Amino acid sequence: MTVFGGIGFTAPWMLLALLALPILWLILRAVPPAPIRRRFPGVALLLGLSDAESVSDRTPWWLLFLRMLAVAALIIGLAGPILNPQEEQTQGTGPLLIVLDGSWAGATRWPQQTEALEAQLTRAARAGRTVGFLTLTRPEAPAFQSADAGRSRLAGFKPAPWQPAPTDIDRAIEITNTLGGFDTVWFSDGLAYDGRDAMLEALQNQGSVEVYQTGADVLAMAPATYEDGAITLTVKRALPTAERAVTINAQGRDPAGNMRTLASVPATFEAGSTQATAALSLPAELRARITRFDIAGQRSAGATTLVDDALRRREVGLIAGRENREGLELLSPLHYIEQALAPAADLIDGALGDVLPANPDVIVLADIATLSEAEQAPLLDWIEAGGMLVRFAGPRIAASDISRDTEDPLMPVRLRSGGRSVGGAMSWGAPKTLDAFRETSPFFGLEIPEDVTVSAQVVAQPDPTLSDRVIAALSDGTPLVTRKQLGQGQIILFHVTATAEWSTLPLSGLFVQMMERLAISSSSAGIEASELQGTTWTPLRVMDGFGTLSDAGTLPGVDGADLADAPAGPNLQPGVYASGERRIARNVVVADTTLGPATWPADVPVRGLDVVDERPLAGWLLSLSILLLLADVVASLSLSGRLLKHSNAAGLILAALIYGPTQADAQADDSFALNATAEMTLAYVVTGNASVDEMSDAGLRGLSDTLYFRTSVEPANPIGVNLERDELAFFPMLYWPITPEQPRPSDAAYTKLNTYLRSGGMILFDTRDANIAGFGAASPNGRKLQDLAAPLDIPPLEPLPADHVLTRTFYLLQDFPGRHSGRDLWVEASAPDAEQVEGMPFRNLNDGVSPVVIGGNDWAAAWAVSPNGAPMVPIGRGFAGERQRELAYRFGVNLVMHVLTGNYKSDQVHVPALLDRLGQ
Amino acid sequence: MNSPETLRIRSEEQAARLPALLARAEHLAGAVLLGAHGRRRAGVGDDFWQYRPAQVGDSRRSIDHRRSAMGDHEFVREREWQIAQSVMLWVDQGASMRFASTAALDQKADRARLLGLALAVLLRRGGERVGLTGSALPPRSGRPQILRLAEALCQDDAADYAPPEHRAMIPQARAVFISDFMGDLAGVATALTKAADRGVRGVLLHVLDPSEEAFPFTGRTIFESVGGTLRHETLKANDLKHRYLERLAERKAELQQLCALTGWQYGLHHTDSTAQSALLWLYGALDTRSGGAA
Repeated sequence: MTVFGGIGFTAPWMLLALLALPILWLILRAVPPAPIRRRFPGVALLLGLSDAESVSDRTPWWLLFLRMLAVAALIIGLAGPILNPQEEQTQGTGPLLIVLDGSWAGATRWPQQTEALEAQLTRAARAGRTVGFLTLTRPEAPAFQSADAGRSRLAGFKPAPWQPAPTDIDRAIEITNTLGGFDTVWFSDGLAYDGRDAMLEALQNQGSVEVYQTGADVLAMAPATYEDGAITLTVKRALPTAERAVTINAQGRDPAGNMRTLASVPATFEAGSTQATAALSLPAELRARITRFDIAGQRSAGATTLVDDALRRREVGLIAGRENREGLELLSPLHYIEQALAPAADLIDGALGDVLPANPDVIVLADIATLSEAEQAPLLDWIEAGGMLVRFAGPRIAASDISRDTEDPLMPVRLRSGGRSVGGAMSWGAPKTLDAFRETSPFFGLEIPEDVTVSAQVVAQPDPTLSDRVIAALSDGTPLVTRKQLGQGQIILFHVTATAEWSTLPLSGLFVQMMERLAISSSSAGIEASELQGTTWTPLRVMDGFGTLSDAGTLPGVDGADLADAPAGPNLQPGVYASGERRIARNVVVADTTLGPATWPADVPVRGLDVVDERPLAGWLLSLSILLLLADVVASLSLSGRLLKHSNAAGLILAALIYGPTQADAQADDSFALNATAEMTLAYVVTGNASVDEMSDAGLRGLSDTLYFRTSVEPANPIGVNLERDELAFFPMLYWPITPEQPRPSDAAYTKLNTYLRSGGMILFDTRDANIAGFGAASPNGRKLQDLAAPLDIPPLEPLPADHVLTRTFYLLQDFPGRHSGRDLWVEASAPDAEQVEGMPFRNLNDGVSPVVIGGNDWAAAWAVSPNGAPMVPIGRGFAGERQRELAYRFGVNLVMHVLTGNYKSDQVHVPALLDRLGQ
Repeated sequence: MNSPETLRIRSEEQAARLPALLARAEHLAGAVLLGAHGRRRAGVGDDFWQYRPAQVGDSRRSIDHRRSAMGDHEFVREREWQIAQSVMLWVDQGASMRFASTAALDQKADRARLLGLALAVLLRRGGERVGLTGSALPPRSGRPQILRLAEALCQDDAADYAPPEHRAMIPQARAVFISDFMGDLAGVATALTKAADRGVRGVLLHVLDPSEEAFPFTGRTIFESVGGTLRHETLKANDLKHRYLERLAERKAELQQLCALTGWQYGLHHTDSTAQSALLWLYGALDTRSGGAA
């Protein structure tokens, strides 16, 4: 390739042809334009006239210039010019290994990286090199294939939501050492990680290494924390460069269930700092909807942080039996619970009847023995719907008969009467301590402080189910905490008081941890390994490198300690993990992660990803040449007079060719309005199906003719109405045939339709399916009708009653056949108080016109006539068929009369009856 | 367009817009043919004209007794002398007539035939006898004559410029020549002088295409006649315009001169103006200028 001033030529010798241009100029200049042959009767008058000078018009210079330009463009185009030609960067012929970091840090720039990769592959293909791939986050032995085969694998590379772990690096180095010599192109994500230098060394042993790395900063976000009523969000970056502002979006489901950005907050990195924080204060309802935070403009797992229970503050209703002991704060049965829960939960105080409608997550009953029937039933409903009832024992429960003989529905176990007291002044034993938690217990793994003792408790009756329900027991095996599932909810009983009277448990930190384990409160301080010790967590949804959540599928569970501490990897994918009621989000970046920029030794060439594309110009130049030649055609024609009077037309054609067909849809509104209103006009809705529209038109034409012949209604030709564009108010009635494929009108069109219906218009819906669906969803047309009519303001409907005014506005009818003769026709339901007056033949129904009439008899087909007045569609058979067509016309006449006269006919039909009564 | 049926229909349309035309003859005696109007009126020469007092020499039989019985004098009832005029058409069928500069315009031949036949329809409605010059279709009356005329007019002549047919002229008749008169004017002069010798008067209608009047050509051009017999090449067509127009004006002047000499009338018609105006003019030329009302 030869490069002249930034433009390379693949065939530079072609440019020599440019030397021929001046010769061409001279030749073209010497040759006169070809003569035109014209037929002209007046030639008889021309005979003998000679030209004043014998030289014809020369070709004008600008036309010559145009032609020269066209030829020059052709020559240069054929010489194969390329803008931004790229020198072969990695020279060589051996195999080429492409190493990808493949971590989340490169996810945002993954498309650019893929493009750069493709450029590399193109170059490798040009040089005939084989290519292998090695992804450091998922190291596998590369297979060296041809570059074209490698290209097809590009789409399969996805960033992993973790950084290459040391084990991965070791494996990668192992793989590299087994391969023969090769050159390396390393696509780095720009973040430092352990073992990269070792990897580089291993690669350099095999051949030259070239690094591609984006210069842009990598952004990441630490998990959100909740402090002092605000969510604290921390954003990190790798390079402490200039001041930079980023926007953090809180994503979640809106009340309609769609994911959307619920809130945005800006965060600003100070110049030279790698961390920025922002505080976001949101109402509790909105906060509970947030599922994730991400950084605007970033699309990586690291820039996304998932939200778990830490932000979800549970609502806890606290209800105590004794409310009247003023001033004794420390003796209040709820004091310790309030202390334990207040930092991490929203507390609701009040009577049970007031708390329940607020639908709290948890209700705590402290020493309340019995509930009234009126309270018990809704409480049970609430528990079965997923509520958690936590009860604490106390003197009242011990003294009551609750759950004595049979198990109370609101108690997890039966209780012995009286309870027991140990280690008191009057008893022999020492206060009991807690037994270690069993594996099945939700408290498993919690450390039991030495000083937690129990001196009094209520005692559970031994039952077959008791051992299943115990989740904490004393050292002598008596249950301390029992639990029972009820519906989707559960009932938990602490066999001690919520105060320090019976045990020291409420005074200990264990109490708070137990509350957390029961998901009554949520930890505000992030996950700690010790706290999760011994639990197993199931992944619910996991993130990929781009930060997109997907179903976890059959991924194995994760040990709680690992979840808190271990770095993310294939066995611990970032995502949402669940254990029982609790949810924990495991994010890529944790609070103490620091991002370090990748640095490379000076001998390794580092290039950016933003390479300028090679741009071949040949196509453009050849197109330009053709365009110029076309212009030359037009210019030559106009010069020689052949475009004489058609130059405008030719220009128009040229313009049309260039600009493409423009929308000639600018229908003059006035002309439409004039057409529609000059005479009474029936209209149909244009469905877009040509045959249906044609049939509607022909049908309404037939009906219009019939009306013209038989009644004083003399409609003009029917008009097709485009719901999106046309004004509807001009038409007394719209015929709307339903086709399954017709588009749903826009919201604006629906607004127009509703206005039309409210202001007295009527729509005749015709499903054209003979009512086989009975207006269910059994036929496609029926479904489409339901879909189309859903946004319409349609009153309740009923099948047309026998005394509806539609049966007698012009003809007396009881059947309304069209092409089909289905019976049902649906109209606005009559008023519920419509009653038949004594002596009247009809009820006084439907004071107004029914805004819709719905049927499926395909009336248009029965009405349809061709322009010469002959019926277009055969109806039924023989005479019966003609009778059916006649009835269809009569229905049409009745319908139009109904639309135009309303209930007038209804009144008129009563006249004989009125006269009759007057006569009496 | 050119079939006899469509030509006739269009001619009827044109003719329907004008009142019936009664061609006047200057020389009654020679060309009078009685009874021609009887088709539309009862009896030959039966129409009442006037009563005049009986004079010496009137036969007794001619006295109108009904009128005379009303007074003391005797009256003779005079009847109108009713006449039919023969009109001969010559419509140029030459190839030069089959020319229209743009597709939107009628060919000259088309327009000429239309005008000719429209005139024939009008004349027939007025009871006149219409035919072609020459012996092919002598003037006759009646509807079938229109059909025959339409058919005869639709024949094309291969020659570029056809001279007017001047044989078998009926003395004292009227004649209408419609042509572009682009050919040799000697033929026209012969025809007109011969016609004048026989007492035939008439109308020349000069039909031209607008491009023949404007000569809007430029550049190197080879002009060919429609039949292809004549050809003229020029390197600069726009240079010729002035001289061409001069020649055209000369030709028109020559034609007018001829008409003035022979008592004919000269009319110019362009195919981009309406046929109606030309027909009106023909109406006027055949009707009012010939003296007296119909």
